[in-house]
Amino acid sequence: MRTLLTATALTGLALTMPAQAQTELTYMMWGDPPELAVWQQIVEDFEALHPDISVSVEVSDWSSYWDRLRVTTVGGNAPDIFAMDAPIYPDWQSRGSLLDLTPYLEAEPTVLDGVYPGPLAAYQLEEGTFGLPRDFQTIVLYYNKAMFDAAGVAYPTDDWTLEDLRAAAKALTLDADGDGVTDQWGLSVELLDMEPMWGGVVYGYGGAPISDDHTKTLLAEGPAADAWTYLNGLALEDHSVMSAEDLESYGYDGFLAGVAAMTFSGHWVVPAYNELAFDWDVAPFPAGPAERATLVNSAGIVISSATEHPDEAWEFVKFVISEGGQSKLTELGFAIPVLEAVANSPVYLDQAAKGNHQVFLDALDYAHTKPSFKGYEEWSGIVGEELSMVWTEQQSIEDALANIPPAADDVLAANQ
Amino acid sequence: MSEDGIRPRGSERIWVALLLTPTMIGLALGALGSMAATIGLSFFAWDMLTTPDWVGLSNYLALPDNRNFMRALNNTALFSVIYVPATVVLSLCIAVLLNRGIYGKSFFRLIYFLPVITSPTAVGLVWTWIYSKDRGVLNGIIAFLGGEPQHWLGADLALYSVVVVNVWGAIGQGMIIFLAGLQAIPRDLYEAASIEGASPFRQFREITVPLLLPSIFFQTVLSTIYAFQAFDYVYILTQTGNGNSTVPTLVFNIYREGFNFFRMGNATAQAVVLAVIVMVLTLVYAQLQKRWGQV
Repeated sequence: MRTLLTATALTGLALTMPAQAQTELTYMMWGDPPELAVWQQIVEDFEALHPDISVSVEVSDWSSYWDRLRVTTVGGNAPDIFAMDAPIYPDWQSRGSLLDLTPYLEAEPTVLDGVYPGPLAAYQLEEGTFGLPRDFQTIVLYYNKAMFDAAGVAYPTDDWTLEDLRAAAKALTLDADGDGVTDQWGLSVELLDMEPMWGGVVYGYGGAPISDDHTKTLLAEGPAADAWTYLNGLALEDHSVMSAEDLESYGYDGFLAGVAAMTFSGHWVVPAYNELAFDWDVAPFPAGPAERATLVNSAGIVISSATEHPDEAWEFVKFVISEGGQSKLTELGFAIPVLEAVANSPVYLDQAAKGNHQVFLDALDYAHTKPSFKGYEEWSGIVGEELSMVWTEQQSIEDALANIPPAADDVLAANQ
Repeated sequence: MSEDGIRPRGSERIWVALLLTPTMIGLALGALGSMAATIGLSFFAWDMLTTPDWVGLSNYLALPDNRNFMRALNNTALFSVIYVPATVVLSLCIAVLLNRGIYGKSFFRLIYFLPVITSPTAVGLVWTWIYSKDRGVLNGIIAFLGGEPQHWLGADLALYSVVVVNVWGAIGQGMIIFLAGLQAIPRDLYEAASIEGASPFRQFREITVPLLLPSIFFQTVLSTIYAFQAFDYVYILTQTGNGNSTVPTLVFNIYREGFNFFRMGNATAQAVVLAVIVMVLTLVYAQLQKRWGQV
């Protein structure tokens, strides 16, 4: 028996030796060139530990990323490892395009030690765990101190309510040169997707975008409807929020362009905002009448079910989640690490970039996870389309709230 | 004997077969192959990644209840009803004008044909700017004249705005077809009519239009097929932030269903319905042409 085992082990070794020469993996993600540079450092560290594996990183902007991923996956050339967004993850899982990591996690359960449970839960489906969170984002309020000082408005505090926000936004929306055209806005934020702002407001009013079992769209019901009255007042009555056309002429981010006093965003803007000439800081998402709420979402890392090197790909995923990988990723400043120990270490808290980074971690206490379910993309498409007609003043918020639930619930029913 | 000239004989046949082979292979694989695949796939539920499931006719039976499909069908029908007559009439009028001995004739022909050979993406982006609500050229002019700026690409007007761009882009091609037809009408018919004292309008009605009927039918068929396939300008001009459109047409909807949501079975069923609609309309035109179009 022993000789047989030894023989098998030896043959196994002999077989793996030449294969060890070099395994080439591709990792595809969305992001900016500076992100690519940091990921290349992560890859270098990984390759130093695993000389037999080389990883090439491919990066595209958000929308072309998903197009490329669709085309390469359907064409049978999926990258071995790729980045994932939690809300879209169930769709990709249901198409059988992701490798089930459950057996790997059962063999090495310590990999998950110290990972924030919230972001992790988004990847644990009934069918198994097909991906791991890579980093996460909580939404907070960013404010331009110079604009607040100039307008004589007090900085946002930890006690701010949504009404305080509305009053400040109104006071900060100005026509500085008196030509009848607004040239400074209180807020620059996208109101189509729930993540930056409307999700936090709906939860803050005591409503919810969708039922917990993902069978019913609730965003027009009861307290949620009050949230929309609030948002409608802020955007269309006070004109405190930059419209899409206003934004277009300033390059898609009014806060970055220095024409909006506040914005709601995740940590991903910090590296860009750090370059800004003016002084800014962050504050918690203002409290609604029912509770203080915000959204948390995580970017994940998954392995293609079609990969020829699942074991090597798993090594890379493990490294990204490890303390070494997470520390490197944190230095970049785009995101918050998923390892609690790294998030609470100086690597994250004392990073060179401006802003109070503790605010993002504290937000976890009152954050709701951005809903994630099969059919999310189509569902959010319907919601966003109706809302876009509201913010461009082609239909009233009441009409949008009447139109969304039947169409959105059809999508939910088709994805059960 | 006139038709013998184009009939190959002897060894010529081998050459003809040889030279036609690449085209025939391309046609068989590219066109007929994908048609067969499309029809076949429309009976399956397939997400492009897992194995297709046979579902019989249910992709088709679900279409009447599919609100996106019905909306796109409605948009496309309305689009065609405006687009086809507008293209045919405008390109005919321009062709007739350009067929006369006006000064700078070739310059105008070039100008009208230019949109046909320009990339729809570039053209679409320019029109986006023209139609833009707050900073667009069109609203700038309207505001200057004291009018109320309109949301040209908004839900109410987008269909008409997109039809205008499509008609503008298609006039050049129609014009070329009509110019060719006009050149084929014998001069002496007009000379004889002039001698008889027929007015230019009467000459147009009694000579030009009847003799151009084959071209008019041809152009109508082409425009109809094009109208049902409208996609490029719709995609560029009316796409909303989340990938939908303010006026989704059938092809836009098929694209989204198939490539965004991975529902290939549904998408192909819609494509087959689209093909059947175009085929039926073409057959109707062919019948009409048999009855009225023979010269």
